[in-house]
Parts: sequence; structure tokens; C-alpha cells
Amino acid sequence: MKNDTINPITLQVISGALDTIAEEMGHVLYRMSFSSIIRESQDLGAGLFDLKYQTLCESESTPMHIGSIPAYLRGIEATLQGGVWHEGDVVVHNHPYYGASHTPDLAIIIPIFHEGELVAFAGNTAHHIDIGAATPGLIIDVGDVYAEGMLFAGLKLYDRGQRNETLAQMIRTNSRAADQLMDDIDAQVASARLGVKRFQELLDRYGRELIFAATDQLMDYSEKRLRQEIAAIPDGEYRAEGLLDDDGRNRDVPLPVVVTVRIEGDNVTVDLTGSADQTPTAYNVPFEGSCKVAAYAAFRKLLLDTYTADSPVPSNEGSFRPVHVIAPKGSMFNPISPAAAEARFTQCNRMIDLILQALSPVLPDKVIAGSSASISFASYAGLRDNGDYWVFLEVNEGAYGGRPRSDGPDCIDNLMANTRNNPIEDLGMHLPMICDRYELRDDVLPGAGRYRGGLGVVKSQRVLTPGFITIESERHLEAPCGLFGGLDGATGRNLIYNEAAPDKVVEMPSKFSGHATSTGDVMVYYSPCGGGYGDPLERPPETVREDVLDDFCSRNHAFEIYGVVLDDGLKLDIAATQQRRDDIRPQRSR
Amino acid sequence: MARLGVDVGGTNTDLILETFADDPVGAGIFQHKVPSTQQDQSIGVVRGIVELCEKAAISTADIKRIVHGTTVATNAALEHDGANVGMLTTRGFRDILHIGRHKRPHNFSLHFDVPWQTRPLVKRRNRLAVTERILPPDGRIETALDENEVRAAARRLRDNGVDAVIVCFLFSFLNDAHERRAQEIVREIVPDIYVWRSSEVADVMREFERFSTTAMNAFVGPKTARYLSRLEAKLSDQGIGANLRIMQSNGGLATIDQCIDRPVNTLMSGPAGGVIGGRHFADMIGEANILSVDIGGTSADISALSDGELRIKNSRDATVADHPVLTPIIDMITIGAGGGSIAYVDSAGGFNVGPRSAGAEPGPACYGLGGTEPTVTDANVVLGRLDADRLLGGDLGATTERAERAIFEKIAEPLGLSVTDAALGILRVVNNNMALAIRSASVARGIDPREFALMPFGGAGPVHGPALAAEVGAKYVIVPPAPGITAAAGLLATDMKYEVTRSLLRDLDAAGADELATVDAELTRLETECRDRLWADGIASADIEMQRIAECRYHGQGFELRIDMPAGTLDENNVQTVIEAFHARHENDYGYRFAGAVVELVTLRVIGRGHCAKLDWPRLPTAHDEADTAQALLYERETVFDDGRSLTTPRYDRACLAAGQVINGPAILVERDSTSLVPPGWQAVVTEHGNIRISEQPPHATNASNPRVEEAFS
Repeated sequence: MKNDTINPITLQVISGALDTIAEEMGHVLYRMSFSSIIRESQDLGAGLFDLKYQTLCESESTPMHIGSIPAYLRGIEATLQGGVWHEGDVVVHNHPYYGASHTPDLAIIIPIFHEGELVAFAGNTAHHIDIGAATPGLIIDVGDVYAEGMLFAGLKLYDRGQRNETLAQMIRTNSRAADQLMDDIDAQVASARLGVKRFQELLDRYGRELIFAATDQLMDYSEKRLRQEIAAIPDGEYRAEGLLDDDGRNRDVPLPVVVTVRIEGDNVTVDLTGSADQTPTAYNVPFEGSCKVAAYAAFRKLLLDTYTADSPVPSNEGSFRPVHVIAPKGSMFNPISPAAAEARFTQCNRMIDLILQALSPVLPDKVIAGSSASISFASYAGLRDNGDYWVFLEVNEGAYGGRPRSDGPDCIDNLMANTRNNPIEDLGMHLPMICDRYELRDDVLPGAGRYRGGLGVVKSQRVLTPGFITIESERHLEAPCGLFGGLDGATGRNLIYNEAAPDKVVEMPSKFSGHATSTGDVMVYYSPCGGGYGDPLERPPETVREDVLDDFCSRNHAFEIYGVVLDDGLKLDIAATQQRRDDIRPQRSR
Repeated sequence: MARLGVDVGGTNTDLILETFADDPVGAGIFQHKVPSTQQDQSIGVVRGIVELCEKAAISTADIKRIVHGTTVATNAALEHDGANVGMLTTRGFRDILHIGRHKRPHNFSLHFDVPWQTRPLVKRRNRLAVTERILPPDGRIETALDENEVRAAARRLRDNGVDAVIVCFLFSFLNDAHERRAQEIVREIVPDIYVWRSSEVADVMREFERFSTTAMNAFVGPKTARYLSRLEAKLSDQGIGANLRIMQSNGGLATIDQCIDRPVNTLMSGPAGGVIGGRHFADMIGEANILSVDIGGTSADISALSDGELRIKNSRDATVADHPVLTPIIDMITIGAGGGSIAYVDSAGGFNVGPRSAGAEPGPACYGLGGTEPTVTDANVVLGRLDADRLLGGDLGATTERAERAIFEKIAEPLGLSVTDAALGILRVVNNNMALAIRSASVARGIDPREFALMPFGGAGPVHGPALAAEVGAKYVIVPPAPGITAAAGLLATDMKYEVTRSLLRDLDAAGADELATVDAELTRLETECRDRLWADGIASADIEMQRIAECRYHGQGFELRIDMPAGTLDENNVQTVIEAFHARHENDYGYRFAGAVVELVTLRVIGRGHCAKLDWPRLPTAHDEADTAQALLYERETVFDDGRSLTTPRYDRACLAAGQVINGPAILVERDSTSLVPPGWQAVVTEHGNIRISEQPPHATNASNPRVEEAFS
């Protein structure tokens, strides 16, 4: 019976049931949780996994989490307290050298027993605001992984259903945000328990043999869908490279990222050889839990685009199998313990952007121009009057590059990131902070092109108590690149000033740690803007005029770059535009 | 004092007329259907009313009330065909509507669309920032409103030719003084257009959602207002002096004036009637727990009602056309699964049904109107569950052969299945998709479907009823009388209903007597506002009922749950019942309570209801012999059931059935626009009002093995 195939109808039924379970797990987790990074940003992932640690299904939450839990499970196997899974166990795990994505992303894993036997796992990961690192919230400029805070490896928070109060108290005692940390862990436990219950119901209904035959076949199906797409790309090596600003301490040392994409039949290898060596700060990427996950995500976006696909591809292990990742030991993408490795997001996002640039000659209809490919992860913290810490983590958005059939979206989470922002009003009601500005940038324009790049955001946050700011961002050095004649986008900026002296502005680097602030200090983030796709002279003049009316383009920029002539009333002068375009076209091609 | 309900759908406008003993024709119910006129829905509506009155032989002047379910606002939103809206907002925050929650609609996509950027409710050129600043947490003014800037902006918007203006300032839920003043100034400068402020449309915290709701109100507003005014005028031209009431998204009725003031409340006017209608027919057999499943050509609307109560969506989840709208909307899940949903095999051999639909044109392959792709209707035809020659009363000229050919070419041959197995597969997949949606509407909301009856309606609903009930474990199926006009019937089965809200953030555990008194005073103010509106509509005090709700969360959470407030003044004693009710609700919904956490009040909501008379559906004559159904028997044909057996199955004319009659499966009950299936082993009972209750009978212990698992391996 094992070798039999399941008919496609039963398969569709089980696939739908698995998706629903994963969604429900994610839903419960973010609705129940307390810290804004989970409840508003939804920086989490949840799903079910088989005994080979293959993903059976995963919630549509944040891509960085999707695909990371199998690595956690392999790490837990190596470290599991007592070495044996029992019914009722709940494991907490975050060790980056045992598979974790990075230390703040705690996994909660519960084994699923059916008729007395271990058959699968329900689990989730969520970003916690403070696990007792050297600085509040985020952490960049530290010497090793032990400075990142508490490390959990295969620890049982519940042993056979019995809560380990010693461990719980230990966790509480070591966080600046003890209540939020512990309550959010409890929310994770509730979500994983729901996954256990729902999967057991499914097993009861269809039987274990049928379910696992179905999940195997669903993974094969997803794998086949991706392999078909890879096989359609001409075999060969495709390369792109870029520079990251710095490691958050050594300011004038840019860090190369070199991406070689090797297509061989229906397999693809992402080779990061040639990228920077591991850094002395936390600006490193855990290989298993983050680097590989980013490469998987790149090919799902590129080749199994859910917006353009005619039928859905189940979210499971199958889509990871054709993708192989190489990063030399001791490099930024595969650090050696005890190197710190908490700040890993911008490298991952840049890797994806470079994979797209590398493949642009052979996939011009699928790739997009350079995106902000960054993130702005901000940690604001301070002390309340009663001596308690307040800690707030914020994920700020970026912008997309122009695309083969449409403009790059403005001010939106980019590539691996897909969180939600915090309502300014909710923030103001609960934290000693005020948002002073949140709108599109007006100091630069996005990359011009037949399809323009997305315009980035500017956000100003004012703190009302003394405290600390840590920022993890990128792209102050290299702007997102234009493609096929499109122009480059714009770099990002970080500024700090005090509201009492708004003219005394300090330009900050893209990454800094534990910067001490005074009451009334304002941190201003300008996100990078996307590059353009295709020749700006081919953008329809009426579209350029619409951009001018909506301030996505200036009248002068329309003239200089797009060759579009508008009169004082912003009416389109068609003849003059034709003439202007004819004049500049030969100069451009030179 | 006849009453009339008129529901405008995508294809047809359905009407129902209820007359009473004091009418010249006596008490009765009359139905009618005319094609919808989408360019101007009022043409079809008025035509339908006039024709129905002729049919019923009553004068249009005898109609005292018309209740209307409209899709004018819905279509304006979905087709992005609304007003040119201008917006004044706080300086520094011009693009809140453009940024949204900065989350992409797709995780794994490079080519995704961002609807709020590509189809904005307010174009960026019309979003103008003015200087003003109100600060949390107390609403104090940090920077006064610059009135000259407001004047300049209003003039610019006037010059840009906007049809409506919204005033959306940050923290206006704490202090609306700036919004009110700016609104006044805009009205002075542009007196002839609609001007709304966010604090009157949705007086709640969270800027993007509040602004978006206000923008949607303005986007659909002028169109809705024009339509309703035109309809009123046309009715009056026809000498119809009936008072006109509109179904709102929350399942309650409102006057024309209220709808013109808050058009955003009518966005789900259409589907709301179906849910109310489902409830009304279930009520006739004393069933308070139902899963209503309204299946049309392209989509299915699913909603759960427990204890006869409509579930209202958590306003955090309510969106229309991908824009958040913080208005009370019946909690309904809509999925792309209906009679016209297309089945196909994808490039990697995966089998899918929907969401793409053949719609009414070209329609299912069996119609012969040019459709070549197999649909759910084609699968039902091939299996003999729908008779091609009787579809829509036989007017279509549909054939079984065309359905077979489409299924053979597109599904059976590529997958190596027989046509029958392929057709069964199409139904299993589409039923499963609907069952998953029913579970999301029930299990995922803490509702156990085993305690619920499944009520399928809409033209395509009843044929799927038993399979869906079995799949989700519902206790039985109720098919309402006239399933094609359930939504129109629902219009005559509900109350006037208004809701008002105010965000008032307070930690309830720590609140002292003063703070509780503030909360109580606010509740009283909201109640007064609601009651005044109902009085203005002519509702007598005795018919008014108030519901007071606290939307709470644990301090620090992001999502609120609704708790009923105790009667009487809120004080330090009864606030404990609110706190405990919240803990209990949290545990019920999520499976866990944070016993030590502080409970925070976020929003107060008052719902005022004005009772209206409910549709009185006539009783059927009682059968002389429950088992003698000969008078209704049409003919017998082969029908294939879910286990693959083909059985000779009698067809009965539903119109000829009497109350109390019992029909054992296999059987099919046919009426003009709908077909009900009674599978083998199930039994249909006609109830006194003509509902058909179809339930699975206890098995005779014949087939012990589980056919589902056996058949799953091929």
C-alpha cells in the first residue's frame, strides 16, 4: 500500500486541511500575544513537521520564519533534554549553532503522538523583544553568541505535561521585558497545542498511513512544480555581486556579497563563495536556520509566484529540495561558533536581490530591478519612572524595484520581510514615544524606468524618556540597481536630532548599537528606493504626467530623465515630448 | 399594509411581497424575479415592483413599506468606480492610506498587486496635509490647527474637482476639535459637496483603518446617495408612497437618510439578506443553530448563527475590496466556489476546482453557450443530480452530452479516470473547499458544527447540502422553501439597527470610581444617540432594545474581543463581571486565559434595535398520508451518489408536497430554480412551513468498512 499513489481528489482534501491547521496556529499566536513584534508585525511562523523534520504545512506569516523550523528540529535532536520525546513535552529552543534562525526567534515544539507513538511535531517560532542580551532588544556590536542573551537548546518547558517552573522563573528573571516574554511563550504553547489537536483529529479521521502517504505525495508535487520551472532555465552559471555598508563596528570596511547561481537541469545551487569572511560583530548569518531559508524563499518568489501562478503550490518541504546552498565555513553566511549571529536579515535580503540580478539575462520577464533589499529593524528602549524597562521593536519598510509589467510597490515590506506596521495611535497610547512623521520620502525620487522603482518611506520617532536606540539597516552605500536601461534607486539614511534643536542633525550609520538618547531625541529613517526597470524614455508620457500630479516625479525630472514636457498648467506637450525624446535617445545609447 | 422586499443580485433582482388580512387580496406571499439592471439598479427594482403588484393584483399604492438589499455601494468598491475624494490630514502623515499596514498581500511573489496603491480611495494629489497636532494619551493640543492652511487646501480640492472631502487627523478619537473645525471650514468653502470627518464615521483608535473607513464612506457615498434619491423619486413617480428601508451590512435596516449619511454601512447589504433569511426559515422549525451556505454561480457565502444570533465580524478583520472598513459586518466567509466554478488539471498534474468561474456567460459547458470547460454544474448534470432538461425550468436547452464531453476532455482523460469518477472528484473537491470554509466559519471560531443544522440556499445550494453536512458533521440539513429567494425574504425578517462606537482606553482592573463613571457617562451618551436615531425613524420606545458592548483585550495585546456589559450603572462591583466574562471569552476562543494579566477596555459600542414585524410564511396543507407521495412524483432516472453507485432515483415536484410528508432517499426534489438531493440512507421530511429537513438515518450495519479510506487509494 505504501507505494500506491493517492488519488488527486483525496490529496486536495488533505492539502486543504493541512493549510487550515497552519493558518489557525498562526492566527491564535498573533491574536493572543502581547509584544507588538508578534501581535502587530506578525514576526512568526507556525506549522506541522514529520519525523524526518520535513515541513508538512506552514502558516502564511513572515517568510523568514517559513522554512526555518526543520533546522530547529535537527538542532533539537542533537540537544534534546533527556534524549527522548514524551507525550506532553514542550521544548523551547533558540540556539543558532543548533539550527535556530537567530537567538530572539524562540521555537516552541510539541511532539504529536498518535495511538501511543510519536508521529510528527507541531511547532512555531516567534520573535521576542528581549531575551536578556547585552543591549535591550536588538543586538549588533557584540563579541560572541553568549552576549546575545539566553541560549535554549532542547530544553523542556513542559516534561510529560508538567510545567518546569524553575525554567520559567529563570526565563522571567533574565529579560528586560519578562511579562511579555513569558506571556508570548504561553501564546506559542497554546498555538502549538492547537496544531497537535487538529493533526490528531486528521489522523483519527483518515488513518496514519493515508495521511503520511498524502503528505509525501504533496511534498513531491511541490518539488515537481519547482523543478519544472528550474529545468526551463538554460544550464549555466550566473553571477552578481554587491557591497554591504559595514559590520556595525568597523565603519570603513564594506562587506562583499558574491552570489553565483548554478543551474544544472532541474537543480539549482546558490554559491556564496567570495562573500565576506565572518565578522567580529553579530552581523553574521546562521547557515542552517537563515541562510538556506533565504535561498529557498528566493526561488519560491521567482519561480512559484503565488500572484501569477494558475494554481496554488502547497507550502511544504518539496519546494526546498531542488535548492542547494554553499557558503564556506567561516564566512559571513556560515559563521563558526562562538561568533555572534543575531543581525542577519539585511545580508539575506541582499542575497535574494543579487540572485534576481544574476538571473536577469535569462529570466527578463520574471526578475525585477533592485529592491531596497534591506530592512530597518529598530529597537527603542528606556526606563519608566518605576524603574521598569520599556522595549519596542519596529520593522520599517522598504520599496520594490520596477517590474517587467508594473511599477515597484512603494513603502512596503521587502523580499524576506513581510510584517505589519504598528498603528501610530496604538503606539502613542502605550509607550513613551511619539511618531512625528510617517509618509513617502520627498528628498529623493525612485529609480526611473519604463516601470519606475518604488518610493521609500520616511519615519520619525521621538522618545519621551532617556534610553537606547539600536538600528539594523543597510544600503547607505550602494543604491538598488536599475535593470534593462532603468536607473538606480536611492540609498537610505538615518538621522538623529533633538526636538529642541532640529537643525543640529547627526547623520548616523546604517547600523548602530545601544546609542544613548535623551528625552526629545528624534530618530529619522529614510528607506532606500527601488531601481527602475526598462528605458525611462519608453514610459508613456501620460503616466509620467500622472506621477508628477501625485509627486512621484517632479516636472524637471520628467523633462530631464523621462523626456516628457509639461507646460505650466502641467498639461502634456506631446510634440515637444516627442522632440525631447528624439534628442536625448542618441545621447543615452552612447 | 402590504410589504415588499427587493434584493438586487448580479444576475437577477428577486422580489417578495407580503400581504395581510386587511389588504384587498387577503394575507399571502407573492414572488417575482426580473433581470437586474446593473447600469441603474433602480430600473429593475421599479419594474419588478410594478410587475409583482400586477401579479398579486394589488395597487402599488397599497404597499406601505419596501425593504431593499442593494449592491450599489458594493459594486462601486469592487469595481473601483467611486467618487473623486479629497482628504485633509495631519502634516507629516500624507500617505497613511498609501502605506497601509506595509504588509504585502503575497509572501511569495515578485509581481503582486498592492490594491491600496494601484487603486487608491483617495489619489495622492488630493491628499493634502495641514498643520495641527494632538497628542496621546490625553488628547491635548500640541500645535493648533492652522485654519488658513485648511482654507487653502479646501480651495485646492475644489479646483481639483473632488466630489467629497474627508478630514482625517491623528488622535481624533481622543479629541475631535480639530477635525470638527476643519470640517466646518471646508463646508463654508465647498458648500455643495459631502464632507465627513473620521471621528464621526469610525470613532476608534488605529489611524489607517479609521482613515480607510472614512475614505471608503466618501468613495461610495455620492453614488449611493444619487442612487437612493433616484430610487425614491422613481417610486414616487409611480405613485408608490411606501417608506423605503435599506438593509445594512450588520443585518439591520436603516432609513435612506441614515444610509446617505453612512453609505459605508451598506457595503454588504446584499449578502446580509441571505443570512437573515436563513435564520428566519430555521426559526420556523425552532432551530437556532445554523450554518447558512448561500451558493450562487461563482461564490459561496458562509455564516454561522448560534442561538439565533448573527455573528458580527471582529472589525479588525473586515475588508471590502482589500480596503479595511471598521463597520459592523455580518461574519461571513466568501469563497470562490459555486455552480460555475471551473475544474482543471494543472501543469504538474494537480487537480483544482475554482476559483475561476464560467459565470452566467459562457456558463457551464452543458448550457451550450460557448463554455467548453467543465464546471461544478456539469459534474452534477453528468451524475444525474441535476437534470439538464429541467435547468431553470427547462428554458436553457442544456444537454448532458456537452457536460460529459467537457469532463472527459479536460479531467477524465488527463487523469486516467472514468467520466463518472472525474465528476465525483469535481464534487468532492468543491465540497471539500466549501467544507473547509464552513469549518473556518465555525470550528475556528469556537463553534462545534455537530450542534448546528446546515442550511443551503441560493440556486446551487440545496444539491450540495447533504454532502456538506456529512463533511462538516452538521446534525442535519434544512432546505428553506423557495431557496432562490431566501435573501429577498430575509429583507422582511429583520429590525431597524444602528450602532455607535467610541474608543476609550482604560485598564478595568485598576479603574477607580471616577474612571468607571466616565465610562458609564460615555455609554449613556452613546445610548442616547442611538435612541434618538430610532425615534427619528418613528420607532416607539417600547419597541427599542439596547445592547451595550465593551471591546476588551489583555493590556498589551493587539486584538479585542467583545463582551456584553451588565445592565445598570457600571461600578466597582459589576466591572468584575466584565473582567471575568473577558477571561472566559479569551479561554473559549483561544484555549487559554492569562489569569494574572490586566484587562483593558478599548472601545465601547452600543447597538440600538427597533423591532419590526417579521415575514409570516404560510403553512402548507397537512398530508393525509405521510408516505403517499404519488401526487408529487415526476419521473425516475439514474443518479450517481458519492459512493459511486448509480441508482434509479425518483424526482418529485416540490410544489406538490404537503406538510408532514416523508421521502426516503435516494430521491431528488425539483423546483424551478433549485434542486435538493436526498442520498440513499437519508430521509427528507416536509415541515409545516415547507422547509425540507433532510437527515441521515441510522445505518443498518451493512457496510462496516470506511468507504472513504478504501476508495482513497487508486
